[in-house]
Formats: sequence, C-alpha cells, structure tokens
Amino acid sequence: MASAVEVEHLWKTFQIPHEKRTTLFENLVGMMKPRQYETYTVLKDVSFEVEEGECVGIIGDNGSGKSTMLKIIANILRPTKGKVRVKGKMTPFLELGVGFQPDLTVRENIGVYATVMGLSRKDILEISDDVVKFAGLEKFEDTKLKNLSSGMQVRLAFSTAIQTEPDVLLVDEVLAVGDMEFQQKCFDVFNRYRKEGVTILFVSHDLGAVRRFCDRTLLLGGGERRAFEETGKVLDKYVYGRSECENSSDDSNIGQCGSNRWGNKKVIIIDVEFLDKFGIKCTRFSSMDPMTVRIHYHAVEDISDITFGIAIHSDDGHHLFGTNTKIKNIPLRVLPGDGRIDLKIDHIPMLSGKFLLSPAAQSSDYQITYHWIDKQYSFEVIPTSSDAGLIAMSCNWVT
Amino acid sequence: MYKLLTANHIHELYRYRDLILRLAWSDFKLRYKSSALGFFWSLLEPLLMLVVLYVVFSNLMRVQVEHYQLFLLLGIILWNFIDRGTSMSIWGIVGKPSLVQKVYFPRDILVISTCITALMMTALEFVVFIIFMVIFRVLPEVTVAYFPILFILEFFIILGLSMALSALNVYFRDVQFIWRLIVQVGFFGTPILYPITIFPENIRWIVMLNPMAQIITMMRDCTLYGISPEPANLAYVAVCTLVLLLLGYSIFARLEPRFAEAI
Repeated sequence: MASAVEVEHLWKTFQIPHEKRTTLFENLVGMMKPRQYETYTVLKDVSFEVEEGECVGIIGDNGSGKSTMLKIIANILRPTKGKVRVKGKMTPFLELGVGFQPDLTVRENIGVYATVMGLSRKDILEISDDVVKFAGLEKFEDTKLKNLSSGMQVRLAFSTAIQTEPDVLLVDEVLAVGDMEFQQKCFDVFNRYRKEGVTILFVSHDLGAVRRFCDRTLLLGGGERRAFEETGKVLDKYVYGRSECENSSDDSNIGQCGSNRWGNKKVIIIDVEFLDKFGIKCTRFSSMDPMTVRIHYHAVEDISDITFGIAIHSDDGHHLFGTNTKIKNIPLRVLPGDGRIDLKIDHIPMLSGKFLLSPAAQSSDYQITYHWIDKQYSFEVIPTSSDAGLIAMSCNWVT
Repeated sequence: MYKLLTANHIHELYRYRDLILRLAWSDFKLRYKSSALGFFWSLLEPLLMLVVLYVVFSNLMRVQVEHYQLFLLLGIILWNFIDRGTSMSIWGIVGKPSLVQKVYFPRDILVISTCITALMMTALEFVVFIIFMVIFRVLPEVTVAYFPILFILEFFIILGLSMALSALNVYFRDVQFIWRLIVQVGFFGTPILYPITIFPENIRWIVMLNPMAQIITMMRDCTLYGISPEPANLAYVAVCTLVLLLLGYSIFARLEPRFAEAI
C-alpha cells in the first residue's frame, strides 16, 4: 500500500529569546548587545510513514512533541530540518470552530468555517441544512453565534467540521472536550471516516481511545521516536517501560514529608515497590492487570507478633481499601535484619487515576505501631477501555 | 524557501478564491452589522470630512479649483482607501491567531481578503461620489476609461504595502504606530486638499515621486476634467506598484514561516 504521510528525519527547534523584543524600538535599542537565545529542540530526528487508510495514534508525555509534530504535518509550523510529505487533501482538526465570528449568524458561520475547512461554495449550499439539523439548531439559524450556549457552538463547529471529506485527517485532543454523548458522536464519526478509508493521525492522552481506534501508534519521548508499531505493544511499552526514571522522582517527594510517618521503629519499612505483570518495578499500571506490592523492611530485634498491612486511598483522600496479614490470618514473626513481604493483587480493580498507598507494621493487637508511612507511595492506573469512573468491573452485556 | 508570486502560487490563490471572498465578505458584514445605521456610518465619515475641509479650504484658504467639492471628495476617498486598507491589513495576521495557528492555507490570503474588504468599503463611498457628480452635473468624459486602471494600480500598491506591514507587525508590534504617523504625514504631503499647482514648478517633481500623488492627480484629471494621463506618469506608477508588490511579497515570504510561532 502507498504511504499517505511520510515524515523523514524531522527536527524542530524553537528559539526562545531571553528577553522578548516585540517592538521595533526594543530591537533598535537591543542592537547594542547580542541577542541570547534559549534553543529548545522539540523533535529530534523523527521518521515514520503512515499508510493509506491507516489510523495512527501519537502518544507521549506532555512536552514530548506530539502537537508540534501534528502542526508540522499540517504545515502550520515549518520543520527546522527534514521533510514531510502528505498525499491528498489534508484537514486538521486542531481546534473546533476556527474562524467563528460571534457577531455573525449561525448560517453565516457555517459558511465561513466550512470554507476555512476547504469546502467549495456549492458544497456549502448543499450541506448547510444538514449541519443545522445535525447540530439541532433549526430554530436558531439566524441567531448570532454569540447568543448560543457554548455547548451549541461546539455542536455547530463539530457538525460543520465533519462535512469535510479529507484524505488525511489530523486530530489533536479534540475529543477531550465535551460530554460523554459528544465524545461518543466523535467516535462514531471517526469510525465512519475509517470505513471510508481516510488516513487518520490522532494525538491523544486518552490511551483508552488510542487502543480502541489506532492500528499503529507512535510513541514520542523527549522529542524522539521511542516506538512505532502495533498499538497494544506500544501502549504496554509506554505504560510499563518507564519505571526507573519516574520512581526516583517520586521517592524524592516521599522523603520530604516526615510528619507522615510514625512508630517506635523497632521495625522500619525501608521501601515499597510496585511490580507489574512482568515483575518489573514501575508506577503505572493498566487497569485490571496484576500488580505486586513489595514491602522491604528492616527489623532491629526479634518480634514474634507482627502484622503488616496496607491501605489504599484515592488521590482525593477517600479510603478505598485496607488489608493486613492478621485479617488474612497469617501469623508472622520477624528476625533481626532485612526482609520483604509481597502482596499479590490479581487484577487492579481501579479504572484510572492516581492512588496512594500507606504501608504499616504493627503488633497484632494494633497496640504497638512499629512503623507507619501514611500515603507516601503512589501508583497510577490507566484505563484500557473507554469505560468511565474510578473502579473497574469485569462485566458483559447480555441480550 | 517558501516561494510566493509564482505562477503556481497564483494558481493556488485561485483555488482558494472562495475562501478569500468569504473572509472578505464576512469581515465587511461584521463592520456594519453591530451599528444601527449600518453602512451609512461609513458614508457619513467621508462626507463629514468633506464638509469640514470644504468649508475650511474653499472659504478660508481660498483654494481656487474647478469643482472643488468633487476634487476634494475624490481625493479623500482615494486616500481613505489606502489608509483603511493598510491599517486594517496590519492586523490581518496578528488579529487572527486561530486562522494562523490552528489551520493552514496560504497566509497571504488573510491579507488579500482584508484588502478586498477595504475595496468593498471604498466601492460604497464611490456610490456617494457618483451621486455628487449627478448633483453637481459633472459628467465624465471618455477619459474616465483610465479610472479602473488607476484604481487597480492603487489596489496593488495597497496590497504590496499591506503584505510588508502585516508581516512586520507580527514581529514588531510598534509598526502600527509608525505606520499611522506615516499615513498622517502622507495625508498632508499628498495633493488631496490642494492641487499640485500650489507648489513652485521646480519642486513639483519631488512631490510627484509619491505614486499616490500621481494616482490622485491622474484620477481627478481623467474623471473630472477630461484629461488623459501622461503615459510616462502612468508607466511610473505601474513600475512603483510592481516594485512595492514585489518588495511586500518578498518581506512577507521571508517572515511567513515563523508566523505561527511568533504571533
């Protein structure tokens, strides 16, 4: 199959001047001293090809160059080095309602926006009624845009935008706005586009959506291409393949809040690790995947009556779960020296979010607390589907 | 390097003609939509100016010119055209960030469409001018055939200046203030209120280096007095137009690639 988008050795560097000179006067005065720039390389030698009719996701952390990449493909930004080739008509959905004028009527705005999106005058005459109907604005055709609610404006923009018939569609996080119903509509439209063989490039933080829609996914990290292959593999890599660097920064945060740990320290909890399904330390997990919580401790003396426990809180402070070895009827005894204890979780029952973990070591009657570290460890859960909410349930619809 | 003013690009602009006209037309409508009197305001402004200047210059300064009202009105309208066209275009890029940063089409379209909006507004003013001609019973002679040629030349002068100004204003925001000063000085330095003959013979050529002075003078000659423009003058204006257009476009083309970053 032929490639619809080719990106070859793309580099993009932004120059950020230390002092911004926006007037001629400042420039004239500033000519005396040399100008100092901070150069910031956003994309480093990125190459990839997208085949015709393929849907490709672009993921990565904030600042990894996703949006810049999309804007270069859209010809809005020019590459510092490298080449981009796009075959066919390209339509960017970087923002809905580009060129909307609040003082023009709904119908006039459809005309302006549709023209901006590349429709001809003839097409616009044909689609106007459909757009108005699809957006549910029949009564407001001649109302000024500024008198519509923002929800109506988004609906109008979306209904207009999807009238375009591109060969290549660039989508940047448009789906992040709007309610569930609207998002569902978006997905329906993208499915339609896919069926029509439109090539789609989709930048998103919504890994669930990427998993659902994209055949292949490009993972960017620090401006470099980290992976470009089948979506499932890339998401695994993204979710699991970044433990070392993240943990260290998390730990430094942990150490600072001394008031959140207490106990007589006859047993000290040295560290808590989260292990993924491959047994590798990390802090991000896919929903419903297995996880092991490993508590490292150091005992100062022989204690014959000890209970290890954990509590899990959501990041807004709700107590979600707590368990310990006594509840599970596991009598424990520790000898002086280092040791560890694992808690195996078969399926993480959370859907998405950040969760805080508090490990504790107490006597079995809870009278003596050896060591308690409150909410100092955290892990993240990433959804694997488009389900909504805090917890995950394995369920099936039966008809 | 991004090339403009090539056959290819002009063809591309032709493909985008719907967009150019749609942007120009919606901008035009916007300017009159929110005011109750609509576009009559735009006619009121030059008329009011005409009355004041007419009273001052014909009575107090005693300028002796045949059909001075029309002479003055034509000058004001033509000067308004360049003033308005360039002042609006300075905001053509900076004033439309979402059209620059969120979508792509050749960016000169933004400037061209703004100039066309100014053209539409000027066309309205010419309706007033025609009414005045009828009132004062001045009927144009055949020489009025030069009118469209001169008008088109003025349009391209405005476009050339606008290209440079709109692009420069992205990087240097005080270009707008500097340009206002130049327009103010130009208003008095160009024979709008007075005929070129008030200058002594030996320095007239300096004043006439200004292509706008040439255009306004030739416009009056061909519309009001039935005098054809000198071919040499016409050629001079045509060359000036071409130079300004090329200069404007080359500045624009140089600065255009970083618009989305600098805006």
